[in-house]
Amino acid sequence: MTDLTSSLPTETAPEDQGKSESARLGFWLTLPTQLLVLFIALFPILMQLYISLTDWSPLDGIPWYRAYELWIGLLNYIDLWNDPRFWGAMWRTCIVMAICVPAQFLLGLGLAILFVDEFPGKRVLYSTALLPMMVVPAVAGYMFFMLFQSGGPVNNILSFFAGSPVTIAWLSDPNLALFAVILSDIWQWTPLMFLILLAGMVSVPQDQQMAAVLLGASWWRRFRTIVLPRMKTIIIIAIAIRVIENFKVFDNFYIMTGGGPGVATETISIHIYKVTQQDLIWGYVAAMALAILIVLSVVSGLAISRMRKAS
Amino acid sequence: MQRSLSFEIFRYTAIALFLALSLIPTLWMVSMAFKPIAEWQASGADLTWWPENPTLDNFRFIFGQSASELIVALERTAGRPILASLLSATFGTLIAMFAGTSAAYGLSRFGAGGNLPLALVQLRLFPPMAVMIPVMIMWAFLGMIDSWWGLALIYGIVTLPFAFWLMKTFFDDMPREIEDAALVEGCSRWRVFLRITLPMMRPALASSALFIFILNWSDYLIALLLTTRDWVTIPVYMASLSSSMTGQLYGAKAALGLIAAVPPVIMGIAIQKQLVRGLTFGALKE
Amino acid sequence: MTEIVLDNLGKSFGDFTALKDMNLTIAQGEFVALLGPSGCGKSTTMNMIAGMLEPSEGQIRFDGKPMNGMPMARRGVGFVFQNYAIFTHMTVRENLAYGLKAQGVSRAETQRRVGEIAQLLQLTDLLDRRAAGLSVNILQRLAIGRSAVVEPSIFLLDEPLSNVDAAFRAVMRQELKSLQRQFKQTMVYVTHDQLEAMTMADRIAVMDHGKLLQVGTPIEVYNHPADTFVARFIGAPGMNLLDGRITGGDSGPVVDLGAAGHSGPVTAPGTGPVIFGFRPEEVHPDPNGPIQMAITMVERIGARIILHLAEGPHVAKAVLDAETQVPDQGGMIRFSVPAASVRLFDAQTERAL
Repeated sequence: MTDLTSSLPTETAPEDQGKSESARLGFWLTLPTQLLVLFIALFPILMQLYISLTDWSPLDGIPWYRAYELWIGLLNYIDLWNDPRFWGAMWRTCIVMAICVPAQFLLGLGLAILFVDEFPGKRVLYSTALLPMMVVPAVAGYMFFMLFQSGGPVNNILSFFAGSPVTIAWLSDPNLALFAVILSDIWQWTPLMFLILLAGMVSVPQDQQMAAVLLGASWWRRFRTIVLPRMKTIIIIAIAIRVIENFKVFDNFYIMTGGGPGVATETISIHIYKVTQQDLIWGYVAAMALAILIVLSVVSGLAISRMRKAS
Repeated sequence: MQRSLSFEIFRYTAIALFLALSLIPTLWMVSMAFKPIAEWQASGADLTWWPENPTLDNFRFIFGQSASELIVALERTAGRPILASLLSATFGTLIAMFAGTSAAYGLSRFGAGGNLPLALVQLRLFPPMAVMIPVMIMWAFLGMIDSWWGLALIYGIVTLPFAFWLMKTFFDDMPREIEDAALVEGCSRWRVFLRITLPMMRPALASSALFIFILNWSDYLIALLLTTRDWVTIPVYMASLSSSMTGQLYGAKAALGLIAAVPPVIMGIAIQKQLVRGLTFGALKE
Repeated sequence: MTEIVLDNLGKSFGDFTALKDMNLTIAQGEFVALLGPSGCGKSTTMNMIAGMLEPSEGQIRFDGKPMNGMPMARRGVGFVFQNYAIFTHMTVRENLAYGLKAQGVSRAETQRRVGEIAQLLQLTDLLDRRAAGLSVNILQRLAIGRSAVVEPSIFLLDEPLSNVDAAFRAVMRQELKSLQRQFKQTMVYVTHDQLEAMTMADRIAVMDHGKLLQVGTPIEVYNHPADTFVARFIGAPGMNLLDGRITGGDSGPVVDLGAAGHSGPVTAPGTGPVIFGFRPEEVHPDPNGPIQMAITMVERIGARIILHLAEGPHVAKAVLDAETQVPDQGGMIRFSVPAASVRLFDAQTERAL
């Protein structure tokens, strides 16, 4: 904080005044955000904890604050531990992440290498490459829904190469449906990886790369020993962002398949949504949501403290 | 650095291939949006890549004019959902920007806020799905289910972390000498903030606001849970655009999808320089 | 050790000509400074020697071999960047070994040569330190060592002292000069600081606006500047240049300086307008001197006094010993310039006569 009055050799009164003025201002300036965070964090989490210990459902006809009448203790959590559908959704979310994030990273890195130096037409091609990430995810889901219709353009192209009509029911086959939704995610978010990685790659000092070349380093050696190590932080940020977002994935998946066929594309967000909207067992949902929140808090807390130590 | 001709050829070929693949989904939607009913219903071998008889019928249809070949008339037109999306995204952006900007200033200049930054990162980490039960209950209690203001409030909270972190990095970048000079002139801190800092931050405010508007405009899940009928947003309305009589209304959906896709694309291109900063929470400035 | 020949070298970027008709031969083991203000083409020349830029015209030859089109990695050029371009994510040892590894030198050999160079540059104790956070003179040694370890035949240094604060520059200059004596490589040094060039280089190539104006030893360039630009650029302060006319005097031709009087006898090819040049150090206060000027400012800097002089259209500076008695600001001073110290330049072309 730059406090001008404190650096002047005057009596103490104005100094205190200046300090308390900034403290007061700081308080008022941060107040709205503090209140909003409390409003969305503290109260809902307490409410969630309370409901998660009951068998309450909005269909029961009793308001949520009287849910204690349906007190069941930790039963929801025990059920959750033994719920194959929950663990299935978790597992599927992890599979989606394990395919999408590396694919987006490698494609994004490759594109960044192609775009890193100047060439004619770069600006236009760059903007065009970013297009998918600006499309509303729900709309993107709808685009891929159309593409993968059995009479749609994907099969049309395949027919062209196969020489005979291809009518694969992409979205009704469990494996193919998972493939299709993963493809839509890769399509939409590769540009984001590209954007961030390119920004990182551009910021690798030119003269260091030049120095490496002058010392006789091949392209690959320069890339491996200078460019990649210097991009480390940015790579971690980019991957972390995609891992987090991929864990939440909902829009395009839900629009393309609704989590189906069966539970073939049911990720954790879709699972919670379905249990909330269709099964309406909110006590159980609350337990599930809280469990996820706790796990995420622990994981993210560990990650952040590790990153702080590293830097 | 010098590059060989063969590398240049490889570069352009690879980029062209990538862009071609990445443009197909968007182009297909654009094409569908302008196809008359017979063409968008065609499938398999009858499929055409471009509309043979381009028409604006799909757009007319979603705004309520019955298209001659479609027997069904829409129960509700796209006008209201577009209004809902506009209102909720705009006011959500205002809430996020108001709270986020002032908190960012408080932290950047006065060190206020304690562990607010971390709390906001965590808020961003959590899937919205994981707090939706209490939010639905609270919103119902406050009478905000199925209202644009209810959506605006939750949008404002969800995008608040972005507004805060973005504006914080902008404030951190701003030289303090100008503010200090004004303070020496005898302006109060409030005056300095309102009369000097904010006007100087106008470009930063504009690009942050656009970025946050895109995020709000892109939401589907929250609107799906918190709106039911009167104030459904475009993506929610789009999903309902099919009837048992006609099946999927591809053309109408594509037309609506196009309408929904255009604003963020334009805004995204306008703030291209700040996108990295926004997406990485201000960790990376270009 | 390599002889570098720049033969009619030219470079243009679109309409902009960065360098034109550059002819320069740098002998084996010579230390040549390319000196000039920013935008004079010195860095362009250097980058073309290194191979970062391709010449638009002319040729570069190393020991007679044309280098046009030769990739920079195969030119055998060591380059020390303005900010040293040290790989700060590596240790000192890794930095020194980088070039050897890249060129596939065996592990044992690498270790031996890194050890040697570290010894030579007094970096042995620092070998396992991370390069980030080392002080700037160590960075300079490291940068030179990293290039030297692969035994380049040519060393190029791009203003390595421009980021160093003034107090430290003298130390760094000395260190650099002694390193060059140790390595005996051909060195090309780019700088805009005439003092650096004067103190370190065997020869100086003065450049301006993409043209080579003069090449010579520091003393040659100082004493016999080829034109008014070089005259002004070399020396601090630079040479005084007064517009005058050559007229016939009692004892031979003199330069008529209007209100400021006239010079002593000069050897001149003819009569007419001329630029009269003399070093500020060559001003000899003399009550009977032929030149008189008003003193506009007196700067006393320790051992010396710098006088700012003006008269009519003329301005000049004089550097005198601290003990010299001089009038105060506003007074007049009469002085003479020894005939041997007078330099005359053509009024039109500004070339030395």
